[in-house]
Amino acid sequence: MREKLKKFGLELPLLPTTSVGSYPKPPHLLEARLKFVAGKLDAEELHRLEEQTTREWVALQEEVGLDVFVDGEMYRGDMTTYFARNLEGFKISGLVRSYGNRYYRKPIIVGEVRWRGPITVEWWKFTQGLTRKPVKGVVTGPYTMMDWSFNEYYPTRRDACLALAKALHEEVKALAKAGAKIIQVDEPAISARPEELPEFAIKAMQMVTRGVDAYFISHICYGAFEFIYPGMLELPVDNFDLEMSNSELDLIELFREHPFSKDLSFGVVDVHSHVVEDTTTVEQRIRRALEVLRPEQLWIDPDCGLKTRTRDETVSKLRAIVSATKKVRKSLKVP
Amino acid sequence: MEILTASAGSYPRIGSRPEQQRHRQAYAQWERGEISSEEFERVQDEVTREVIEEQVRAGLDVVTDGQVRWYDLISHFTRKLEGCKIDGLLRFFDTNSYFRQPVVVGEVRWLEPVIKREFLFAKKISSAPVKPVMIGPYTLAKLSINRRGVGLAELAHEFAGAISLEVSELANAGAKLIQIDEPAILKNPNDFQTFEHAIEKIVAEKNGTMLLIHTYFGDAAPLYKKLVKLPVEALGFDFTYSPRLPEVIARLGCEKELGLGLIDGRNTRLESEREVLDVLKKILPNVGSKRVYLSPSCGLGEYLPREIAFKKLQNMIAIAEKAGELI
Repeated sequence: MREKLKKFGLELPLLPTTSVGSYPKPPHLLEARLKFVAGKLDAEELHRLEEQTTREWVALQEEVGLDVFVDGEMYRGDMTTYFARNLEGFKISGLVRSYGNRYYRKPIIVGEVRWRGPITVEWWKFTQGLTRKPVKGVVTGPYTMMDWSFNEYYPTRRDACLALAKALHEEVKALAKAGAKIIQVDEPAISARPEELPEFAIKAMQMVTRGVDAYFISHICYGAFEFIYPGMLELPVDNFDLEMSNSELDLIELFREHPFSKDLSFGVVDVHSHVVEDTTTVEQRIRRALEVLRPEQLWIDPDCGLKTRTRDETVSKLRAIVSATKKVRKSLKVP
Repeated sequence: MEILTASAGSYPRIGSRPEQQRHRQAYAQWERGEISSEEFERVQDEVTREVIEEQVRAGLDVVTDGQVRWYDLISHFTRKLEGCKIDGLLRFFDTNSYFRQPVVVGEVRWLEPVIKREFLFAKKISSAPVKPVMIGPYTLAKLSINRRGVGLAELAHEFAGAISLEVSELANAGAKLIQIDEPAILKNPNDFQTFEHAIEKIVAEKNGTMLLIHTYFGDAAPLYKKLVKLPVEALGFDFTYSPRLPEVIARLGCEKELGLGLIDGRNTRLESEREVLDVLKKILPNVGSKRVYLSPSCGLGEYLPREIAFKKLQNMIAIAEKAGELI
């Protein structure tokens, strides 16, 4: 798919390095968000802090030397709730338990889901305005939005999913119109019910991406890939971003049996662990991927969003990715 | 025939009101070492009392203790078994809640009662009958990491041995009806024989109590014919995954007591009277037993906010009253 990127004027090095989406919010921003919720801080002041932190993350990505940037999602809380709050048709529920003592608020679809207007576009423009490196647009996908919401309005899961796809298509179009060349549609829930992949999940992704001229990535994690592979290759995207280090890299074996036909963003560092992988470990993981993929197919990134790590862990993990990738590039005898 | 209303398992331990945050706060304090295990236990007792009262207030005929002390349905039981260790978090079926996965490293052995004390506490404070709810041997074996070096059937058999001892203790303690959850069998119909043998082992030592085998998060229609032959008194079903199930039950009939999970335990939408009554009209004329239980499709504790859980139960009870007029 490097031709497609070239067509957009994006000359990325071989094995482009990137991040999945989120970076950790600094303590003063977390505090400001709480104050905002309590009515003790106005929206402009919070926005100013979010912009300031986004600038810092852009500068850090420059310094570390990533090839494709993200905005770091300083302005998002939960990936489903953020979009639910900004689309028509949603309400937010009371607290639902996830595990242990962790609770979250789950969106409820209470009416027709509709796109009210751009959600992430201003943030994309702001971030792209700070760098010459391409910045990814990142939206949560229709299947995940559906699966992680209550549905009081649509008769079936399919109806809810397709309505979300229609709304998110508008967001994706708006991102592309603003200039985003690389757009990521996150679908961590896509393997929840494998039978729904051919029934409507693929159709939903078609609706989101259809007619939009961009290089599409879909990030999938916590998956039971063995149940949806190779069927998931039918999702109309150019690149799958998969967590590999957390799954003990057993996907490599799946790819040996059935070749992976798209580009792959290969997660090489574990986002749930405080331990920073050393360059050699990361390098070995990349080389394992190259056993089943051509170098032209491969991107390198962390398993998932890094928002649960500290700032230092995040930067160290990103550095490990960049230095290991450089070593591998050198041995592939390319610049 | 009588139509009773029953809980199908867990109940939300916290709600939106400040006084309903107690469990969460105490949990955090206990984790930070600020309160003792005894103090946390006391809060759990209070919250158990609260959720039982709430179920009774909603009008349920059969309640549970809400499982407010449980980390999850799986590890709460295996934690106290010999031969099991507890590993990391894994997604529970297709839900967005997580359980700690057991690792079986040696022969599984039951050492002491696991939930008997919890049952006795609940029974003492509840004005309605309390139903203990446990995970079943097949699902336990299926969801465990098996380092034991034996096959799935043998592992399920060992878990069945442990569960049967617990069931026998609960029966002695006065449990008239015990629910055993076996969601995993729906997606693995080829393991039916293994599943059946494990259940038979529990039945052999159930000590006079009634057993209800409950399945959920999958379509039970293809297995219905086999499930009704299990040597247990009652079967529970999650109708939200089974559009064909009412028709299958109507066609094949049922001589067992039925747990009718017609209330979606994973969605905030309140069921209309009409949609539930339509299914009951179809099923009930073909059920030969004396009793059915209208219930949520699964425990509510991990899937609904507390306020909605209560509304769901109230709504279910209003529908059950209407259904009573039908028969």
